[in-house]
Amino acid sequence: MTGTAIAPAPSAEPLTGRSSGQRSGRRVWSYWRFYLALSPFYVLFAVFGLYPMLSTIVLAFQRWDGLSPRRFTGLDNFRFLFEDPTFWLSLQNTVVLFFMSTIPTLCIALVLAVMLQSAVRFTGVYRIAYFIPNVTSLVAMAIFFSAVFSTNFGLINAGLRSLGIPEQDWLGQPWGIKIAVSTMIVWQWVGYNTLIYLAGLQSIPKDQYEAAKVDGAGPVRTFFSITLPQMRSIVLFTVIISTIGGLQTFTEPQVMVGNSGGTGQSGMTVVLYFYRAAFLDNDYGYAAAIALSIFMLVLLFTAINWRIFRVRGDAK
Amino acid sequence: MELSRRSLLAGGFALVGGTMVGCSSGMDTSAPAKTNVATTLVLWCWPGGLGKSVLDETITHFPDPTIKYSEIGGDFKQKLITTFNGGTGIPDITGIKGEDIASMLPQANRFVDLKTVGADAILGDYLEWKVKQATTLDGKVLGIPIDIGPTALYYREDVFTKGGLPGDPAKVAAELSTWDDFIAAGVELRKANPKAPIVSDATDFYDIIIGQNPTRYIDKDNKFIGDQDHIRKAWDICVKMMTSKVDGKTPGGSPDWNAGLDQGTVPALVGAAWVALDVKAACKTSVGKWRLAPTPSGPANFGGSFLTITKNAADPAKAFEVIKYMLNADNQAKAFADAQIFPATPAAYDKPQLKAADPFFGGQVPIEVFGPAAKNIPVAYEAPADSAVAQPFKDELKSVQSGAKASDAAWSSAVSKAKAIAKRQGVQ
Amino acid sequence: MRYRLRGIALHVVLVFALVLFMFPFAWTLIMASNSTADIYRFPPKFTFGDQFDDNVRHVLENVAFFQSMTNTAVVAISTTALVLFFDSLAAFTFAKFRFPGRNALFVILLATMLLPAQLAAVPQFQTMALLGWVGSLKALIVPAAANAFGIFWMRQYFQNSIHDELVEAATLDGCGFLRTYWHVALPSARPALAFLGIFTFVASWNDYMWPLIVLTNPDHLTLQVALSQLNRSHGVDYSMVMTGALMAMVPLIIVFAVFARQFIKGATEGAIRG
Repeated sequence: MTGTAIAPAPSAEPLTGRSSGQRSGRRVWSYWRFYLALSPFYVLFAVFGLYPMLSTIVLAFQRWDGLSPRRFTGLDNFRFLFEDPTFWLSLQNTVVLFFMSTIPTLCIALVLAVMLQSAVRFTGVYRIAYFIPNVTSLVAMAIFFSAVFSTNFGLINAGLRSLGIPEQDWLGQPWGIKIAVSTMIVWQWVGYNTLIYLAGLQSIPKDQYEAAKVDGAGPVRTFFSITLPQMRSIVLFTVIISTIGGLQTFTEPQVMVGNSGGTGQSGMTVVLYFYRAAFLDNDYGYAAAIALSIFMLVLLFTAINWRIFRVRGDAK
Repeated sequence: MELSRRSLLAGGFALVGGTMVGCSSGMDTSAPAKTNVATTLVLWCWPGGLGKSVLDETITHFPDPTIKYSEIGGDFKQKLITTFNGGTGIPDITGIKGEDIASMLPQANRFVDLKTVGADAILGDYLEWKVKQATTLDGKVLGIPIDIGPTALYYREDVFTKGGLPGDPAKVAAELSTWDDFIAAGVELRKANPKAPIVSDATDFYDIIIGQNPTRYIDKDNKFIGDQDHIRKAWDICVKMMTSKVDGKTPGGSPDWNAGLDQGTVPALVGAAWVALDVKAACKTSVGKWRLAPTPSGPANFGGSFLTITKNAADPAKAFEVIKYMLNADNQAKAFADAQIFPATPAAYDKPQLKAADPFFGGQVPIEVFGPAAKNIPVAYEAPADSAVAQPFKDELKSVQSGAKASDAAWSSAVSKAKAIAKRQGVQ
Repeated sequence: MRYRLRGIALHVVLVFALVLFMFPFAWTLIMASNSTADIYRFPPKFTFGDQFDDNVRHVLENVAFFQSMTNTAVVAISTTALVLFFDSLAAFTFAKFRFPGRNALFVILLATMLLPAQLAAVPQFQTMALLGWVGSLKALIVPAAANAFGIFWMRQYFQNSIHDELVEAATLDGCGFLRTYWHVALPSARPALAFLGIFTFVASWNDYMWPLIVLTNPDHLTLQVALSQLNRSHGVDYSMVMTGALMAMVPLIIVFAVFARQFIKGATEGAIRG
């Protein structure tokens, strides 16, 4: 049962073995319960997901301003996409922001989860407190974070001043924008991931820790020899979810530096660029081409994540 | 089936590819859908778009059919376009923001040409340049102006006089009549008070300076003119603000800006009449210390919106009656009293609501600055693609501001990006 | 002694994190009790003001708060209930049974997760228009009734926490598929269900983009859409906006506080059993 998150568990025996001797036509029919159990998702997806997706794909080969009749333009949108410096910049920003936010988020979350598990008291209070960022309204948070990072009256610069370090124009410099945006993402998602890790930690059998204690392993060694390997599938899960979310970063830069992406367009992510093309420039065909590129990007990253964790799994 | 990266990719592509088969563009709904039922008259606008007392009064004034008002928060244009596409739930009357009107003109077939329901009789009451924004090249009028956004120079009288600049509005008007004067005054002020840059943010000034021109990025013959002198001049003025070190790099609406308005570190700004709402909301201790003077180098317009009737309206004539009533000079004056919604009808400027002195501006009468500005705003042709084409200029100007690029390099990069976008949008 | 020091150090770090996480929330509280001009004062104001009542009153005057809260509750509760049922059923099937096409179906499920949702607002609206659901709460509940994320997450949990022998034993006892799901799978999945439930509920409660587009009737707005009306184009009363945001959060925090307990209990039980 140490298969990765996605590979089917090899030990999951078919419980419907009784039908194994029959011919295939009737065999498929005999599984109807399972197909019925799965059907809600696929039916809903077919109705509410497939059509929009089809439409997006077709649109990528058209010019459409959202209201006039559509016109087929072949590969024009993609040709423009490949030559568009803003698009490539937005790809680069997205990937950089993804690493700047995901790695700290997951590391901090894992550490907090381990600490939270060994803490005996007040765990309920911590849990609720850590979860608060996830329910806080984004409007309020946008106002808060731009206030914290503002140049003249911001808290961070006030701190720097008191330490004698020259103040920085955070939201006026490309790197400052990236730091501010990723800080907001980290703040919002650490609690969420901590809770997921905590759930994973709770399911690790206690006797394994007892055994490690008997062997005289310290907390650090226990963490690397027991906790981490046991948590692999949960970590993969959070990595995949963070990848999907992180590569679609949009609201945070939009509320902090606006639709233009700020100085040097440093906060311009691919989804923000999509949004701008579709809803500000009314260039829906081009926006669809950007959307397809986002799909490819997420697919690529998911495949990479998976590969990394699979290789480790095989090596074990 | 062994699950691997390859099969995931294959699966993903199969899903994407498979769906392509047999799909047609079945969603071309360019023709307007069926008209609405006549029992109610649905009116859409955004929060704060219409004066509250005017709205309430109009609703009681037209009991049959009942006016049903929907306030749409968030991205108004996106919601409007999506709804047009769906073909249901389309309002009879809808507001359109000034910045969106140019991109809606090509969609004239979705709106009622107001000339067909009797607009000719009232168009003369509204400012000519504003009506022109909602007029197609072949002469259809799609909207009646709700309001306009004439600009003025807002400044702190106390900070100005302490810094050795004139404080009296008439003197400021005379001595800061051009951008060069304004920048020179900023240099003066900086010497006396280094914490009070006269320019809040140079990139915020760019659109206003462009708006002082009768031309934009694309001309009536659909030709790209964004690389010409009028644009470069606006660009150079902004760069001069940066190089003269009078640029505070504090974007409008940011926390620093809001705090600075009250603290005196944003001692001046150039903004439309409605900016007064933002300034008043942010100021507590500086009430009475603000003044108004004409915009250096002439007025521009920033914002200001329209009411339009969609082709789905059950009774366009009735809908027009509502618009006509709601936007007449009396009601425009009331809307100004409600929420600083600045009238697009010059006749309203003589009404008592506008003649009132404003204690926030030290007893100054704002209309004495905004009224003449409103009448002198240049008539300009705005192309549907203008806002998309303008974006690279603003982006690149920010790079100059942060010191990442030199002005000339940024300019040529902006021009080449803008040309590419213009070409995509079908501009020659 | 060393043990106690470690315990203290532990709590110091945890409390530090707690302060960091709670700070913006506390700041929201402070701003909701002050006036807009106070928000931008310098040095910033860190004390509670006396404007809270006024701000609440302004929110209630400007939006139909309780009506839209009821709508939001209807949407969030029905969505969560449907998601919990459909997702766990599908996940259990994926995790513990083998049948033709299983892997292919699962790959499709994963692929659907990769597509950014906000990309397809226009065609989605057209689907709703075809169904005649524009303006009704159905348009929010039905498309969200089952999702790939939840199936993925629950499947993971079933795979690791339910032993195959348990399912086999249930089958030998004569339990049908549905009864096995109901009596064996669901009870052991309580922590996972609590998680999925909370996150679905929160996501549904805070959903903004799609409801904004699809809800046209002013009498049928959700809370987030109604609150967006407080963001006027100019002269925004930020303290009122903050108060509205805060009022909308209260039910979420209550729901979480109640179910977090359930979750902790479930998790502990799971640990003992394991």
